[in-house]
Amino acid sequence: MTISLAVPDILVARARAGDLEALEALYRAFETPVYNLALRMLRTPEDAEDVLQETFLEVVRSIKQYRGEGHLWGWIKRIAASKALMRIRRNQVRATEELDEESTGRQVAYAGPEHTRSGSVAGVPARIDLERAFEQLSETSRSVVWLHDVEGYTHEEIAELMGKTVSFSKSQLARAHARLRRMLDAEGAAR
Amino acid sequence: MMHCTMDDLLALKENEASAWAKQHFETCPACRAELEALYQRIAALKALPVHRPARDRWPAVRDALRVDQRRRRRRWGAWSLSAAAGIALLLLIRPGPGGRVDAAELERMKQQSATLEAELERYDPDARVTSGRTAALAAALEDRIAVIDGELAQVGTPPAPVRRAELMKLWQERVDAMQQLMTVHVTRAAYVGL
Ligand SMILES: [Zn+2]
Repeated sequence: MTISLAVPDILVARARAGDLEALEALYRAFETPVYNLALRMLRTPEDAEDVLQETFLEVVRSIKQYRGEGHLWGWIKRIAASKALMRIRRNQVRATEELDEESTGRQVAYAGPEHTRSGSVAGVPARIDLERAFEQLSETSRSVVWLHDVEGYTHEEIAELMGKTVSFSKSQLARAHARLRRMLDAEGAAR
Repeated sequence: MMHCTMDDLLALKENEASAWAKQHFETCPACRAELEALYQRIAALKALPVHRPARDRWPAVRDALRVDQRRRRRRWGAWSLSAAAGIALLLLIRPGPGGRVDAAELERMKQQSATLEAELERYDPDARVTSGRTAALAAALEDRIAVIDGELAQVGTPPAPVRRAELMKLWQERVDAMQQLMTVHVTRAAYVGL
């Protein structure tokens, strides 16, 4: 998903002055991309909506500090990504993620018959298969894949956002792609 | 035969693969197919549909923002009040040479400042503004007043060496900034016919 959301300068100036109408206009312009980013990184729509709310609370509170360097969407996206990562860390405290991932991963391998009807074309994974496979990854893996491959963040940027090393980001990406490949392979075999 | 690992493939994609991986890749159709599949997966990820939130979270954000704004306005009022109290105290303690005139002048400026502040209260900062320029100007003036208040509070702290001229200058600046802010609001009000 590529987003080139251009917002008029005048709207940003009004938002920075605390004008509620302008702030709402910003919210309307970015609610879907922020929510979608959060949903790809997290597991549930509820978590993604909470991240959407937290992100905009910070946006409206700190828009005065936004000096117009770089794109507004880049600035908001970074806030959203770091809010989502914060929530992932909180979720990790609550659940042992790897166990979860392994058990649901196995389900997918055996869930073949149900969604081979989704119309996969040989060799090219149908969208539904990839989306389902992607959802089986851990939140951390999904975040790394999404931020790197879709949003175009570098491993250095991801490492900084996550408070991890560059090699952590790289190995997460490799592991995630290896899993995706295996899962999509299993789908193909069940066909 | 040993093939490229996923790490190798990703490194090839980023153009930072090892010499071995590069060489192997040149001659191995299986690995070339793997890299092509990797590119396809990434392209497919980028093409996934965009999901929209089911609920509107703006009301929650707006309500929290309103609470913030009310709190900030209260703090602003308390801040200038404490600065004024600090100065009144200083005038009591240190009536310098020619102090009576200065004190009267300061008192007059403080009064003016308080009157302006009360006037400004009548203009609801939450109300919509007509242009970004006006809003930005008002915000800049409000910021400046806050900065002046901060300086006044510093100058007004008893242990700090007090320079009466500096104090006078700051209060004068505060009054000026408030007058400008007033002008901005009045102009806007006239323009929108309030
Ligand atoms: Zn090979």
